[in-house]
Amino acid sequence: MTDADRDSALDDRDEPEDGFDDAGADLDLGGRRALVVVPAYNEAPAMERVLKDLARHAPWADVVVVDDGSTDATADEARRAGAKVLRLPVNLGIGGAVQTGYRYARRSGYDVAVQFDGDGQHRAACLAALVRPVLADEADLVIGSRFLEPRGHTATGSRLVGIRILSAVVSRIVGRRVTDPTSGFRAAGPRALALFAAEYPQDYPEPESLVLLHKQGLGFAERPATMRRRRDGTSSIGLWHGGWYMVKVLLAVVMDIFKAPVRLKEDA
Amino acid sequence: MVAIQRILLVAFAAAVLAVTFHLIRKRRLREEYAVLWVVTGLVILVGALVPEGVLAWLSGALHLSYGVLITFVCFVFLAAIVLHYSVAISRHAEREKDLAQELALVRDELERLRAELREKQAPAPEKKPKPPALRT
Repeated sequence: MTDADRDSALDDRDEPEDGFDDAGADLDLGGRRALVVVPAYNEAPAMERVLKDLARHAPWADVVVVDDGSTDATADEARRAGAKVLRLPVNLGIGGAVQTGYRYARRSGYDVAVQFDGDGQHRAACLAALVRPVLADEADLVIGSRFLEPRGHTATGSRLVGIRILSAVVSRIVGRRVTDPTSGFRAAGPRALALFAAEYPQDYPEPESLVLLHKQGLGFAERPATMRRRRDGTSSIGLWHGGWYMVKVLLAVVMDIFKAPVRLKEDA
Repeated sequence: MVAIQRILLVAFAAAVLAVTFHLIRKRRLREEYAVLWVVTGLVILVGALVPEGVLAWLSGALHLSYGVLITFVCFVFLAAIVLHYSVAISRHAEREKDLAQELALVRDELERLRAELREKQAPAPEKKPKPPALRT
């Protein structure tokens, strides 16, 4: 049995190995409101599965799908599955799409916003574990890391090498250990939400936003999360294979150190 | 510098300034971007009219021949213009992003209001007997 076989076999079962049946469904928000932001670009085939996963494990949260200028039926599929959809008229990329969700969350008065990929690689069962430290005010942003307790699909080959290099550099910049700087599975509390609504990195948002948080004096934490291998569509970072991508990310992250701090206006 | 070079440079400067002026007049070039071109035209003009002695002194002081000096000045100006454009493009990309996001949010708001209005205008059948109550 090859790695790929094992991964796809793992996809077809519904989180049995983690014992996650309705895990997270009973989370008590204590009167606060949570929004799950699902950025999606041409993810029509995955929409139903992703939204069902969320409905089952996170019934305590509202869900908004940000359709990043898709050319397929992503928005229709998301609406059919009962989700609210924000449609961007042009393709902005993952950073612009996610920030649309943060801006919506801020305007609609949500306290917590969770970023959850529209391609089905994230597990909604892990969501409550990310939101809990935010509710307890232990961190402004909690990141689901594939590498804290490596289970499920992590990364392979050059991609893994790239993540290792990047996490070493980001860890050094922010002065603490970051195991999964490229994870797009994260929960933001009120302060991070206000910051990201005002200013969110557009080029390589996941690692860059950690440097931004650090510079603004906000705290973040990592919690273990398992992820699936993607089944439909293509990754938004298909260019991982190639040193050029690494050079650009590292340059962007290092440049972030020197950027002027963001001043937040009351009305973001 | 021989007379023919001066004449050519003056003609070139005049052409740059004339084209810039024409584009502004036709509203095809905003003043914001025109400033650089006007300055470029003026610098070429000054370069063409400057006395021989000043040029000789300048090339001597910088240890550059006259040709290299001119090339260098041209390069600096082109680089400045291109950098100016990169900054302008970045600003426009940021605005385009903000506008697209605002459009998505406003579109959602519009759909919500439309649905609300539809509900108000087309009341459920049992409510039909008393339409005045709906006017509130």
